Amino acid sequence: MVMIIGVIVLIAVNIILLSVFNRRYISYYRPGRIAISLIAPFQKASTSSIHFVRDIWRHYFFVVNVAKENDNYQKALNKAFENNIQLKEFKLSNFRLRNLLNFEKTITDRVLSAEVIGKDPSPWFKTVLIDKGKNDGVETGMAVVVPKGIAGQVTDVSANYSKVLLIIDHNSAVDALVQNDRARGIIKGGMAEQCLFKYVLRKHDIEIGNIVVSSGLDGVFPKGLAVGYVSAVIKPKSGIFQEVTVTPYVDFEKLEEVLIVLNPKKKKFEPEQ
Amino acid sequence: MTYCLHILICLSLIIIQTTVMPYIPLFERFYDLLTPFIIYLSIFRSVRESIVIVFIFGFFMDIVSGGPLGLYLTAYVWLFIGVRWAITFLHVGDSLLLPFVVAAGVLMENLIFVGISAMFEQSPRIFETMVSTIVVQVLWALFTGPLFLMFFSYSHRQWDRWFKEILAKKN
Repeated sequence: MVMIIGVIVLIAVNIILLSVFNRRYISYYRPGRIAISLIAPFQKASTSSIHFVRDIWRHYFFVVNVAKENDNYQKALNKAFENNIQLKEFKLSNFRLRNLLNFEKTITDRVLSAEVIGKDPSPWFKTVLIDKGKNDGVETGMAVVVPKGIAGQVTDVSANYSKVLLIIDHNSAVDALVQNDRARGIIKGGMAEQCLFKYVLRKHDIEIGNIVVSSGLDGVFPKGLAVGYVSAVIKPKSGIFQEVTVTPYVDFEKLEEVLIVLNPKKKKFEPEQ
Repeated sequence: MTYCLHILICLSLIIIQTTVMPYIPLFERFYDLLTPFIIYLSIFRSVRESIVIVFIFGFFMDIVSGGPLGLYLTAYVWLFIGVRWAITFLHVGDSLLLPFVVAAGVLMENLIFVGISAMFEQSPRIFETMVSTIVVQVLWALFTGPLFLMFFSYSHRQWDRWFKEILAKKN
């Protein structure tokens, strides 16, 4: 009897402590920083070794494929050149329109590259550890992107390392919209490296293949960054929302380098004297 | 010196789990490598020797993971308590039972994860994915768990022997 009461009390204490510590922002205070400083250098060394061995394999043993790949790249380059000219035109017209409407620039060109040095030990959570931290100017809440699109958000920062919550994590949320239809919703982490596009109204005609971009309304991700493409749409007979699945453009299995968007701090308004 | 070995093993397991295994598609849904080590400590080592390691590495895992802080600590502590309780009436040192003990440990850890996630997360996880992940992990544990226990036991014996040899040479 005493043992059962003891176990119940222990469980209750455990749950209370968990709900107190569930506020993640306290995690990288002193003990957490020591832990991360102990593990991260080994993770970095291990990741670097893996990359080194893999690069040797790729560069020296796969030379046969290089010529073939080169042809493909040449074709892709030609295509990109055409696109580039078209994009320059768009950029110029965009610049003119922005000036006309007196829009503020929403994203700075300041980005910081970082290397992924470790992945989450649990299949239940999707986070990565990167080799840039507070000393490099990284702060909690900064957006993490790759050239293909949005990767995640910085959730914890220590002196030289940071933890990034990927957009495929269950706890992640990104305010987004469908590029052509402008239907708005929230991108949440789903299953099998896919995302759910939630709270999209039924009235919007969303089709498979439509591109989803960040809306910029969450104040974290700059507007217009690619998130993924619509891979499934279910319109239930009742209800106000439709179920949309989005496949991210970023291959999270092969995520090795990322860019951290270093947006400048917004100016604080000084009270008039 | 035993603590040094435990720390060395745990650090190696965390590094393998976070840097090497994600690059091997076969181990995409492999179980937490520290689980068999916690089971090893519970069965074969003393409480005094084990509890410090359970707390330290539970905390370390919480730091490197994206789950709520205290999740791994909770899982390891209850796993340790559960196995210590089980060995009071089960002869788990028997090699035939070891695969089932590791599999049960992995199942217990996953159930704790799912329970805590359900308590603190706003939107529910997809049931089918959860079940398939747990089944795959338990199956992995059933077949590979005893190998880990044997490796830990062997490392410990070798470490002790090596340490005794060094002491004998000094004397």
